[in-house]
Amino acid sequence: MAVLSLEHVSYIYGEGTPFEIRALDDVSLSVREGTVTGIIGHTGSGKSTMVQLFNGLEKPTAGRVLLDGKDIWAEPKKMRDIRFRVGLVMQYPEYQLFEETIRADIAFGPRNMGLAEEEIARRTKEAAAFVGLEAALLDRSPFELSGGQKRRAAIAGIMAMRPEILVLDEPAAGLDPRGRDVILQGIRAYGKATGSTVIIVSHSMEDMAAYCDDIIVMSHAKVCLFGTRDEVFANASKLTDVGLDVPQITHLMMLLRARGVAVPEGIYTVEAATAALRKLLGKGHTV
Amino acid sequence: MKNIAFGQYYPAHSPLHAMDARMKVILSVLYIVAAFLCKNVLAFGALLASAVVLLILSRIPARIVLRSLRPLFFIMLFTAVLNLFFATGTSVLVSFWRITIYVEGVYSAVFMLVRIVVLIFGTSIFLTYTTTPIALTDAIESLLSPLRLIRFPAHEFAMMMSIALRFIPTLMEETAKIMNAQKARGVDFSSGGLVKRAKALVPILIPLILSSVRRADELAMAMECRCYRGGKGRTKMTVPHLRIGDFAALVCMVAFGAALVYLNHRGIGYTM
Amino acid sequence: MKEPFIHTKDLCYSYSDENGLKQPVLRGITLDIAKGEYVAILGHNGSGKSTLAKLLNMILEPDSGELWVAGQDLTSPELTEDDFYALRRQVGMVFQNPDNQLVATIVEDDVAFGPENLGVPPAQIRARVDAALATVGMTAYARHEPHRLSGGQKQRVAIAGILAMEPNCIILDEATAMLDPLGRREVIETVEALNREKGITVLSITHYMNEAARADRVIVIDDGVVIMDGTPREVFADPARLLAAGLDVPQCTSLVHALRAEGVALAGDPVTVEECADLICRALEVM
Repeated sequence: MAVLSLEHVSYIYGEGTPFEIRALDDVSLSVREGTVTGIIGHTGSGKSTMVQLFNGLEKPTAGRVLLDGKDIWAEPKKMRDIRFRVGLVMQYPEYQLFEETIRADIAFGPRNMGLAEEEIARRTKEAAAFVGLEAALLDRSPFELSGGQKRRAAIAGIMAMRPEILVLDEPAAGLDPRGRDVILQGIRAYGKATGSTVIIVSHSMEDMAAYCDDIIVMSHAKVCLFGTRDEVFANASKLTDVGLDVPQITHLMMLLRARGVAVPEGIYTVEAATAALRKLLGKGHTV
Repeated sequence: MKNIAFGQYYPAHSPLHAMDARMKVILSVLYIVAAFLCKNVLAFGALLASAVVLLILSRIPARIVLRSLRPLFFIMLFTAVLNLFFATGTSVLVSFWRITIYVEGVYSAVFMLVRIVVLIFGTSIFLTYTTTPIALTDAIESLLSPLRLIRFPAHEFAMMMSIALRFIPTLMEETAKIMNAQKARGVDFSSGGLVKRAKALVPILIPLILSSVRRADELAMAMECRCYRGGKGRTKMTVPHLRIGDFAALVCMVAFGAALVYLNHRGIGYTM
Repeated sequence: MKEPFIHTKDLCYSYSDENGLKQPVLRGITLDIAKGEYVAILGHNGSGKSTLAKLLNMILEPDSGELWVAGQDLTSPELTEDDFYALRRQVGMVFQNPDNQLVATIVEDDVAFGPENLGVPPAQIRARVDAALATVGMTAYARHEPHRLSGGQKQRVAIAGILAMEPNCIILDEATAMLDPLGRREVIETVEALNREKGITVLSITHYMNEAARADRVIVIDDGVVIMDGTPREVFADPARLLAAGLDVPQCTSLVHALRAEGVALAGDPVTVEECADLICRALEVM
């Protein structure tokens, strides 16, 4: 499986105009193979630009984007192949559906790849299963589906290309809790089943804590933190310094520590917090 | 994408910027009439001079206004050439092969050029460079409002124009987004024959149309929630006032037209 | 309780699907909302919560049941068109997509749109627009173009547009769903200040539990009926029921319930992080 890295990448919008904006400033990083990596940061911190650099929708102003150690811009003519290998799901992808049926829409990417019909059919079915779309829905028109179902169909459309790296820009934005869980679980299932690397941009620290192995924290066009989820949440104060939220549980742990309660660092899930507090509180109550 | 200029409004403080937009619409119509009144060298000379005066009054850099002539370059060239070769007259300037160029041809080519340049200059200075699109729509609404008597929907017409202005940047952004989304699924816009390229547009156009319909729907609901009920009983936050300066400008324009007519009779040289 | 600002009894609404069959959305909503209350309405997508908002604003007409707003019977056949607009003015709506509710090309012209429709004299419109922009903290952007603003700023302009109509009630129909955490905070804080300082009744339809936790009262709608109605503390005390309705609870609430399930004795149902920290510290001191 491929590994993706940025090498001294900068990206400037509207270079030379009065509206010049430096969206990325000399960023170098390498995404670990087979992980779920989260990217978090404020709007305008450069994260959406970053994901568009990953699959060659934007070209870096300086620096190189490497896939398996090879510059993706070495042969611009072959960019389409790069885009099949690095699948990008943009924000609110349900608005890109255009075919008459969900099945045809999911099959659109694989068909552009020039795959055989049986293979297209197989992948379509498989991708729909990842995101939990029942077979009965596949022959419906996108109009007949709920917002959450449309979102899942659009994500399946990228999964059906079976990219080695699946990149998603805020896949759960605007969904209710149940819709959010179904989608994030589907994405994780895709990574597990295919061994692909998954990159998720999100605003939700809670989702990051629940689903990601590694986390990249962006601030002002630079990477301000990058490490495993344990490492990043152990630096919770750095997150609050750049104005980002921490999961409510991490916030609680920070408050407790400030009040002299001896809770360990780097707790970011309800389960871990329950275990830690049970130890402190539970003495004498339970065995 | 966000920085596309509409109507090329050029912000500045000038007497023309300060003028009531309705008056500017009227003046530009009169100016067009004036440009067609000219018949001889004196009148055309005065017309050209008036364009320079307008330019100075507007405080817009000349190169910016000159830029607006660029897209019309071929039309101007074509008109000039046409007049040069096909106008007939009495005094032959040169004659070669089957072509004869008359002095009158030269005159009329130059006159046509001046007329086109002045028309573009005049209308763009009055209507686009010194007037914001929104002021222009309001002015058009106000000037068309007497037509309500014959059931012309002046308010609705202006509302449509201003909503279009509001949503053009949003839709441009949306188009770019959808294009990127489909590129990520392997759509190729830049290669293949005409049919293939046209086909590649389908995955862009359908989502774009659907989303515009959805936007229109939501906007209509939001407008209803804000008590919109058409032009009925509506007031405006900014009520434009015609000031003395506006009327003075009108007087000047009429006087200018009269002067042109007078100059037409003081003919020297060729008269059209 | 004083005379309620909103009163509904057995309110029902259904729409006709493509086969002409009636699909019930609301199946008997009975509610009283007092003037000046800050109410969060929770429910998963498709639970009927947005439909309720549209009924309150007379965008939709109920099939049956009682519906009173500001002491007026909205189902009365005697309601004239002018009554209708006079009522609608009092209940402002902020919608989900910030782009699709701003009409004008300049911020202050947009804020003026409502009062212009109401036929307010020009000088008064000017005063109202200036005051409304100041209230939402957008005075500096009065001459800006809406499409250059951030999502949170656009929503604040939309709120200013409603304020300029001098409403008694603001309904947020998932108005924060498309915003990033900063934008969400901007909007919530603006609305909370309006509720506190101007006594404007606020109905916030949302599926962010942390937002609901800040309201005076939480109403949970599932499948077209009110299934829970109480203070955030009362509602979040029953996580199982919320989960069954496709919702979540704040992480702190989950933590307390998990600890209790493991036999730790904790008294009280904290809703905010601070309350939760207090509760745990108290429990530690007792030991």
